[in-house]
Amino acid sequence: MIRSTFISFGLHSLLLTLAYFGLPTLKAKEPIELPIDIVEETPVSTKTSLKLGNQQVQKFKQQKKEIVKEEKNKKNPPPPPPLPTKNIIEKKNLALKKEKEIKEIATLIRKKPKLEIQKKKKPKPPKIIHRPEIIKNKQKQNLAKGILKTLSEPRPSEDNSKNVKIKNNKEVLKKIRNIIGNSNRQVKETDIKLSQTDINKIQNHVKKYSNFSYAASQVKTIIPLKISAITDGTVKSVKILDKSSYKKDKFYRAAADAARRAVLDSSPLPLPKGMEKEFENFIFDFDTSFIRDY
Amino acid sequence: MYKISNLFIYKFIILFLSFFNLQAFAEDLRIKINSGQVEPLPIAVANFTGEEERSSKIGMQISTVVSNNLVASGQFKAIESAAFIAPPTNPSVRPNFTDWTPLGIKALITGSVKNINDQQIEVEFRLWDVIAETDLIGLRLSVNYRAWRRVAHIISDEIFERLSGDSGYFDTRIVYISESGPQNKRIKRLAIMDQDGENHQFLTDGSFLVLTPRFSPTSQEITYLAYFKNEPRVYIFNLETGQQELLGSFPGMTFAPRFSPSGEKIIMSLADKGVTDIYTMDLNNQEVKRLTDSPSIDTSPSFSPDGKQIIFNSDRGGTQQLYVMDSNGRNVKRISFGKGRYATPVWAPKGELIAFTKMLKNKFYIGVMSPDGSGERLLAQGYLVEGPTWAPNGRVLMYFKQEAPVDDGKSTNVNLFKIDITGFRETRIITPGDASDPAWSPLLPN
Repeated sequence: MIRSTFISFGLHSLLLTLAYFGLPTLKAKEPIELPIDIVEETPVSTKTSLKLGNQQVQKFKQQKKEIVKEEKNKKNPPPPPPLPTKNIIEKKNLALKKEKEIKEIATLIRKKPKLEIQKKKKPKPPKIIHRPEIIKNKQKQNLAKGILKTLSEPRPSEDNSKNVKIKNNKEVLKKIRNIIGNSNRQVKETDIKLSQTDINKIQNHVKKYSNFSYAASQVKTIIPLKISAITDGTVKSVKILDKSSYKKDKFYRAAADAARRAVLDSSPLPLPKGMEKEFENFIFDFDTSFIRDY
Repeated sequence: MYKISNLFIYKFIILFLSFFNLQAFAEDLRIKINSGQVEPLPIAVANFTGEEERSSKIGMQISTVVSNNLVASGQFKAIESAAFIAPPTNPSVRPNFTDWTPLGIKALITGSVKNINDQQIEVEFRLWDVIAETDLIGLRLSVNYRAWRRVAHIISDEIFERLSGDSGYFDTRIVYISESGPQNKRIKRLAIMDQDGENHQFLTDGSFLVLTPRFSPTSQEITYLAYFKNEPRVYIFNLETGQQELLGSFPGMTFAPRFSPSGEKIIMSLADKGVTDIYTMDLNNQEVKRLTDSPSIDTSPSFSPDGKQIIFNSDRGGTQQLYVMDSNGRNVKRISFGKGRYATPVWAPKGELIAFTKMLKNKFYIGVMSPDGSGERLLAQGYLVEGPTWAPNGRVLMYFKQEAPVDDGKSTNVNLFKIDITGFRETRIITPGDASDPAWSPLLPN
């Protein structure tokens, strides 16, 4: 009796979950093709419907074929590195050791940028402090703020002298050599999460191409765009997610178009190595509120 | 049997769950982009194609006007047609975008002109997003060929609205005071022109002095002040019919009357026994109502777009500053606290800004501030800059600028200028003579 109620409860909850979410497998795959959005039904009517000349049609077909070929080539990933030929027991032991030490190294590797950044910053510390006061342009000021934020977080304490850095570096190198020898691939396969620096790199890259009209300050909401990118960072498609705002609000529509241009223009994106899968489908949230202070 | 069925169910559940791609439940990675540039967008306006000589000529003229309009707005940067790789195409043909992307062009405008008959032409255009490789808007207009300039302004408005989100202001007119003659015997005439200075016309002959014209926000009417036998009179001029109506004589009027947002009232300042106060006049029954009652000089009133508030300048605090009050004259509140004197405030059509003239250390400035007095920004300055007027979309200001007098003050040089509210682009409007006191019309009715 208890079992049957348990099973019944389980099945019901499963059905409810399915009813609520639908089949996620269907959700997972997004269309690859660049969608041509029908932006507006123009009052020009049938006479202005696009007529492609024969030459242009052939050109498009050729371009399409080339794209398909390229995609096919890209779909075949390079073969995995050959496994070392050792006994299974030894492999297990080694693997356990490696896991422990990789975790240690991973933490050390994460610290590595601190050292690099500190080296870059040291020559001009007073200028960085005074810069926000000198720069009048608020946008530049905001950018400077962003840079300072990323720099301030990993800034090491005063005790970290050059000797400490060198020691750390040596330790890291030694451990890497002991564990993986000359192969770098295994380091990439470690479970390193997407860092703030990686995100900042992408953000700054897209910001360079983002050009909004002053009227975009009227947009009070975030403009989410769904991006689909391939491993080399090339943007395959950009989808404006909030279709209702796009149709109703002319400010939103213009700003969303500008955001879409920015993303397509910024292709290829500087994707962090080993994290390309994360960017197969992701979202850019464009916030135009900065224009109000411009 | 019972056990088997249980096992079957468990297996079924496990099998079913295995179909789930758990990644689908994971939320997509989100990256926030919260800054960027606000710079002129690079665009290309290809010459509008035409099969015959007349249509081809009109096509070229339209594309030039469209390009000039968009560039003058300060929000677009037109790429020289000499740099174009591809020849202009018909708007119904999808352009080869790879011909335009190397030039850094983000938006492309193609168009065509067709002769329908001796008088009528058909103008068609299409706006393309070069980066997204898609069309954004298209329009076809049939007009008399003489109205090609108006068509160019309408097309400019459509493009401006589609790319910026703001409504355009190109299909509008400017009424202003045209000045000529020596300084001691100045002839002032009422004149009207397109916002780009074309289609210039004089509305009065200069036989009497005219001042401070103002457009009605709802119709193609203007009010202006004219001195007839040294008595200030307020007239309403209907631009469509050409008829003038005398509203009345107002001895002691110190500044121009201005329409209320509904167009049913006018607001003005009148001087009586050394005291200048603000009054409204109902245009339906010509009832005059006094709004301020102070021993100071209250002038230059302007309604907020919702008609609920009035901004004016007053010296009640010792110096000339800006004040806001309710439309019934209550709740007077000072909003300007900066150094110098403030005058001629005008509420922006969207209500978010107030434009004003500022006098500080023998210099004049045109500036903007929020209705609460915060965020003051000075956009233009000169020997004498005065009389700001808003474009109907509230993005551009026009004013007049007088240069320092030369030759012992005998000659002056007064010109109209417009500036984007970002303050980055100041453009002079070419007029036949000296020009002052501009007033911007609302968008022309189709």
